Amino acid sequence: MTLSLSDSTWYPIASSDDLPFRHVYQGQLLGRELAVWRADDGNVNVWENRCLHRGVRLSIGINEGGELKCQYHGWRYANRSAGCTYIPAHPADAPARRIQNRTYPVREAFGLVWSAANDDQAFQPFPGAETGDWFPLRPIPVNAAPEDVLAGLIGLAPDDQPADILPGLAVRLGHAHYFVQPVDSGRAVIRGVLAGQPEDAIAILRHYNETLTKLRDRLERAARKKPAPAPLEPAFEKVSVDLATMPDIAIPRGNTTTVVVKRKWTSADGVIGFELAPREGHLPTFQPGAHIDLHLPNGLIRQYSITNGPGDLLSYIIGVKAESASKGGSKILVESVREGDLLSISEPRNNFPLRRDAVRTVLIAGGIGITPLLSMARFLDKSRLPYELHYFTRVGEQVAFRADLESLHGKVILHTGLARTEIGQTISQALGEWSHAQHVYVCGPSAMLESVRVTAATQGWPEESIHFEYFKNDKVIDDSSTFEVELARSAMTLQIPAGKTIMEVMREAGLSVPSSCEQGACGTCLTGVIEGECDHQDVYLNDSEKRANTAILTCVSRAKSARLVLDI
Amino acid sequence: MITLYDFELSGNCYKLRLLMSILRLRYDIIPVDFFPGRQHKSDWFLKLNPFGQLPVLKDDDLVLSDSGAILAYLAKKYDETGQWFPNDPAITAEILRWHAIADDITSTASAARLALGFDYDFDVPKAQAGAHRIFRLMDEHLWFGEREGRDWLCTPPHPTTADIACFPYVMLSEEGGIGRQDYPALRRWSDRVRRIPGFTIMSGIFPAGRALEQA
Repeated sequence: MTLSLSDSTWYPIASSDDLPFRHVYQGQLLGRELAVWRADDGNVNVWENRCLHRGVRLSIGINEGGELKCQYHGWRYANRSAGCTYIPAHPADAPARRIQNRTYPVREAFGLVWSAANDDQAFQPFPGAETGDWFPLRPIPVNAAPEDVLAGLIGLAPDDQPADILPGLAVRLGHAHYFVQPVDSGRAVIRGVLAGQPEDAIAILRHYNETLTKLRDRLERAARKKPAPAPLEPAFEKVSVDLATMPDIAIPRGNTTTVVVKRKWTSADGVIGFELAPREGHLPTFQPGAHIDLHLPNGLIRQYSITNGPGDLLSYIIGVKAESASKGGSKILVESVREGDLLSISEPRNNFPLRRDAVRTVLIAGGIGITPLLSMARFLDKSRLPYELHYFTRVGEQVAFRADLESLHGKVILHTGLARTEIGQTISQALGEWSHAQHVYVCGPSAMLESVRVTAATQGWPEESIHFEYFKNDKVIDDSSTFEVELARSAMTLQIPAGKTIMEVMREAGLSVPSSCEQGACGTCLTGVIEGECDHQDVYLNDSEKRANTAILTCVSRAKSARLVLDI
Repeated sequence: MITLYDFELSGNCYKLRLLMSILRLRYDIIPVDFFPGRQHKSDWFLKLNPFGQLPVLKDDDLVLSDSGAILAYLAKKYDETGQWFPNDPAITAEILRWHAIADDITSTASAARLALGFDYDFDVPKAQAGAHRIFRLMDEHLWFGEREGRDWLCTPPHPTTADIACFPYVMLSEEGGIGRQDYPALRRWSDRVRRIPGFTIMSGIFPAGRALEQA
């Protein structure tokens, strides 16, 4: 028998006990090294043991509970998806490309962790597995060919009670089931389980350990006399060069996922919580501060921040403000959408990325603005990074996600019913004087955002340390200008008259232009600018991005120059 | 005043830096260029330690050598809790037993590392096989320890100098081509050592994630 790299059999690769809290286990199956770790939610991850960045083993990395952090340059990967959530060399950017480590199928059952080289076979319990209560023995690694190890185990059977050979390098000897994990062509691990929990567990474990250790020594003596088999040579996919480079400001994508409304509840007075779950598997990787576009039954698209913590991908939880004047978007969610309904969501996008290299992080939320900041607090909390979360509401009953906030370990301060002047003073105190590596993140009503921006600026906070996200564009759009737009890649020149947006004219000319909010808030229609001076009227780009004059939101912004050349 | 004659990449010197960090002791470092300078064989160093081995530790006028001996000295003199080298005769014997194993780890795992990384002329396959033999026994000891409620190499419910003495060259074994994939209990023990309050790192020995009680 020769081992095959594409063998799709499920083999045990670890004991459940091998994965204690915040540990990373080093395993191997069919020549492929594995980093195996249990997240705080209990989920077991089996990943290729290699950071996508520089190839360092992830098994020497740090299990942060919801993310695994590479020891070398600190890239973080999310529980379940293995998607990259943070690149310390680019602390101010969200790693928006699909940087995702190789994962292997996993099942935890009968005291063991099982995996397979590929997804070709569904997991099947060994015969009789479901009826028993299984007690795992100490695994015994053996430097011998897996088939020789199986033969050795079969040889342990007494003459009057022959071994019962099971599929997948396994054998039953009386009460004991043994599975041979094919580590490589010349290496194996004997993983045994006993039916039932023995009374004197330690004595039983020692007994089997002694038997199997003697078998191991015999097998290894025999193996040393044979020529060593050539190790399996798995091919590792090369990491593309541009993985190490960061994308530009944002890349709109058209993909949507169907989700089920798993739960709908009143989180607080005026705030409805929605739990959106995939129909199978898990949802895509997101970073703190990210939002999804939710496609509503009436055709509208609205953005909602994900409130989840790191590696929490079984469902997204969003908060929706019940009474909302916004074009009927939230209204239909609150009034018509029910548990069990199907909705479409976009992949998460992040215009509000969280740096994780701050010595102090101040999070300021007003009302429903708590949603992205709750996610940020959860990420900082898991990594034990210092933060203070200030949450302003008019009355205590409006405090959403209260239980979630109470379970945080950091400083969470609720400010209720403050008058406008008091809010200003509180913000001023919360910010304090700026010093190196301090960052503030704010989300809430426009007045609060302005207050934080102005206060922070007067207290010495530089622009790049103040982070915010607008829900909507309250500015009055001045669409009185007329200008010419040249579309460099479409080889088209369009005249934009007063009263029409660049986007409208482009669509009239037959171009397909992705958009979402169409009010300069979401960034979906962001387009590169090659030449000309923009008249930015959006609330999506920050001041320095606006000054850079390299990108424009075609739904609201216009040109100051007579001509604008766009990269479209 | 404590002075450590130190080579930064030496696991034996690191044992002392580690215990002194845990005990929050202040000390001076005099760097000794073990490689490539071979200063541990220079006249001035041989006057401190005629055996020509690092580390050497000076405490005022007292000059000590051998990492295991110095660990015992530091624990007995400066550890007010008495946990790192308890006075109990049976536990003392247990600790010294592991100090001897630590020396065996040095002569195998560290020898392989010196051969592969520092140009030493040692029998690498023999050194690697010797290290694997010790690691197997340590893994078995620690695996049953986990089942019997013992987290450390010795019986007390807390780490001792035995853990400090064995830790560095276990952690640096991969630099000698000795993988630890087959020793899951040894790997978990190394997480526990790295979570001891006051733990410090060296080149090649990284921090672990947070422990249960801190999370």
